[in-house]
Amino acid sequence: MRLSIRDSPEQVGLYVGDYLAKRINEFKPSAEKPLFVLGLPTGSSPLPTYQSLVELVQRGDLSFKNVVTFNMDEYVGLPRDHPESYHTFMYTNFFSKIDIQPNNTHILDGEAEDLLHECAEYERKIKSVGGIDIFLGVWERMVISPSTRCPGSSLVSRTRIKTLAYDTILANARFFNNDLSAVPRMALTVGIATVMDAREVILVVTGQKKAMALAQCIENGINHFWTASALQSHPWSLLVCDEDATLELRVKTVRYFKSIEKVQDEVEAKYGGAAVRKTRVNGVH
Amino acid sequence: MGITRFTNCSLALPDGSLRRSDLFIDTDSGKIISGQAHFFSTRQPVDRTIHLQGNILAPGYIDAQINGAFGVDFSSIDEGDATYLKRLNEVSRRIVETGTTSYVPTIITQRKELYQKLLPLLRPRSAPDGAHVLGYHAEGPFLIPEKKGAHEESFLLDASQGIKSWEEVYGAAALDQEGVKIVTAAPDVEGVLECIKPAVERGVTVSIGHSNAPVDVAAKAVSLGASWVTHLFNAMPQMHHRDPGVIGTLGAQDESQRPFYGLIVDGIHVHPNAVRLAYDCHPEGAVLVTDAMSLMDPRLPDGKHEWRDGRYIVRDGLRLYIEGTSTLAGSAISLDHCVRNLASFTSIPLSKAIQCATWNVAQMLGGDVAKRKGALLEGRDADLVVLDRDGFLQSTWVMGKEVYTL
Repeated sequence: MRLSIRDSPEQVGLYVGDYLAKRINEFKPSAEKPLFVLGLPTGSSPLPTYQSLVELVQRGDLSFKNVVTFNMDEYVGLPRDHPESYHTFMYTNFFSKIDIQPNNTHILDGEAEDLLHECAEYERKIKSVGGIDIFLGVWERMVISPSTRCPGSSLVSRTRIKTLAYDTILANARFFNNDLSAVPRMALTVGIATVMDAREVILVVTGQKKAMALAQCIENGINHFWTASALQSHPWSLLVCDEDATLELRVKTVRYFKSIEKVQDEVEAKYGGAAVRKTRVNGVH
Repeated sequence: MGITRFTNCSLALPDGSLRRSDLFIDTDSGKIISGQAHFFSTRQPVDRTIHLQGNILAPGYIDAQINGAFGVDFSSIDEGDATYLKRLNEVSRRIVETGTTSYVPTIITQRKELYQKLLPLLRPRSAPDGAHVLGYHAEGPFLIPEKKGAHEESFLLDASQGIKSWEEVYGAAALDQEGVKIVTAAPDVEGVLECIKPAVERGVTVSIGHSNAPVDVAAKAVSLGASWVTHLFNAMPQMHHRDPGVIGTLGAQDESQRPFYGLIVDGIHVHPNAVRLAYDCHPEGAVLVTDAMSLMDPRLPDGKHEWRDGRYIVRDGLRLYIEGTSTLAGSAISLDHCVRNLASFTSIPLSKAIQCATWNVAQMLGGDVAKRKGALLEGRDADLVVLDRDGFLQSTWVMGKEVYTL
C-alpha cells in the first residue's frame, strides 16, 4: 500500500488524473484488444479527478476511445434521467466531456426488473472484459463505496443490493427537495471483493472528516467496519489524500510514506518521465 | 441524418440566461433531444458534431406581427389563392435570413369581403427549407378611427352585434380553425368588449390595439381575456398620469393582469427610453415584433414605392412613411436587428433580449406553439439560430435542418 499526500483536494485531482493518464497511455489500449478497464466512483471527492481527466482529454494528452468503465453503484428505483442518479452524475461530469464510446461504459441499472440478475450480470461483464485494471474508489464515511454508507460490509462481498443507513438517507434528503420519502432506500453496489479483484486500486481520500477512518485503515488491522483496510492485503494499492485527511495519522506514519514517495520520485527521475508531471502536480504549470 | 450534437457553444435558455452546454437534436424527427438519454439508451455515438466556436445557440425567432416582406404583402390576394400561397412560401424561405423560424402573417384592415378569402389560407404551414407560418393575425377592422395609423378608415367597423359581428367579418370557421389566431381590436369600439370572452374560448388570442380606451376599459378587456397589447405606445394615447390608458395595463397591481405587449424596437417607432421604461416595468411581458411591411428587404433601395389602395410609401433607411404625410407606416426592420436593439437600448444581456423574441412570444401565443417552440428544451422543435456574441446571425435551422448560413 502506498500513501501519497498532496496539498489540497485540487492537487489530489491533478495527481490522480496524471497517474491514470500515465497508466492508460503506457498500456496503449487499442480497438483490437486489450482495452483498458477502469472502475469509477461518484460523489464530491472524485470531482477534481474527473475535471483533471477532462482537461487532459481536451488537451489531447489522453484518450478514452479504447477505455471501458464500470461504475461502483446506482440507486435502486431512481429513474436514469433523475438529476440525482449516478447515470446523470457520470454523464454530466465525465462521459459528455470526453471521447469515450457510449457502449464501453457500464453502470448498474437500478430500474432492472430482476435486480439479482442485474448484479450477477455485472460481475459477469467485468469478467468478460478480462477484469478491472484500475479501480478508482472514494471513501465516504469509512467504506470504499459511497453508496453503502453503513459501517459494516463483508470483506468478501460481491455486486449486490444494499440498504442504505438511515443517516445516509437523511444526508441525501437535501438532493430530493428535503422529502425523505423521495430518497432511495437501496442501491446496487459492487462488493469489496469486486474491488479487491482489480489489478490495482486507487483510493481518493480528502478532508478532515475522513481523517479518523484513514488512520484506522492504515495503522490498525483489517476490519469490516473500516472496509478500506482490506487494501492492506491487496498487492497494488495507492491511497491519495490531502493534508487534512492525515490529521489523525501518527507523525511517523506520515513521515514513512513521504519518504517512500521521495525515494520513488528519485528513482523515476533517474529513469525519466517524472520531471514534467512533478512540476504539474506541485501546481507549477 | 441522425443525431447532431452542437458543442463549444452557449445556449440561450428560456429564463434568459446563457449556459455553456451542448445541444443534441434528432434530424429525423426534427426535435431537440437529451444527450444523456441518447447516450444511455442507444449506446451509440452521435452522427455529427458541429463546433460553434463559442457562439450563441438560441431558439429560432418568432414574429407575431408582420404584414409582409420581400415584396410580398400578406393582405393582398388579388391574384388568387395559388399565387398567394406561392408568395407566402417565398417569404417563408427568405425570412430565415433574419433568424425568424416561425411567423404570424398579419392582415391589416381590409374590405370586409377579403377576410373570408384570406384567413382560411393562413392555417399552420411549413415551406420546405423555410420558416413555419403559425396562423393569422387580423389587425382590424374593429379599431378606433382616431388611432387608425396607416389603416384605411373607410374599412373600419364596429361590433354592434357582439361576436356575431366578428363572425360576419372573419367567418365563423376562421375563428375556429386550427393554429394561431390573433385578433387586434380596440375595446372602446362598440361591442368589442363582449367579443373577447367568446373569442378567447374559441382559441383566439385577443390583443388590444389602435385604441383610445381609458385604463379601466383596457383593464376590463384584460380581465375578460385579452392577453396582448399590439405595438405598445403606437396607435394609442400617450400615458397620462391620471389616466394611463392602454399603456397603463402594464402597471396593474395584480401582476396576472399585466398583459404581454408587442414592441417595435427599431429605434423609430418607440424612443429607446420608452422601450426601457416598458421593459423594466414588465420584463416577462415583452414581445418583440417587426410589424414589417412588404418593403422589408435589406436589398431594397430608399425612395418611393407603390404600396396598396393607390397609396405610396417612402422608404428612408428603416423609416417608412405614407407619402405626403409624416405618419409612420409599418417598419422595415428584421427581427434579429430588433433583438440587438433591445439589448443595447436597455443594457440587458443579449440572452434576455433573445427571450423576448422566443420564449415570451411562444408563451403569449399559447396552445401548441407554447409547447413546441421558443425554447431549447428536450422534446421541442429544433428551430434554431446560431448568433455571434453581438447577436449577428450566423445560421438558421428549421426542424433540425440548416436552412440559412451567413
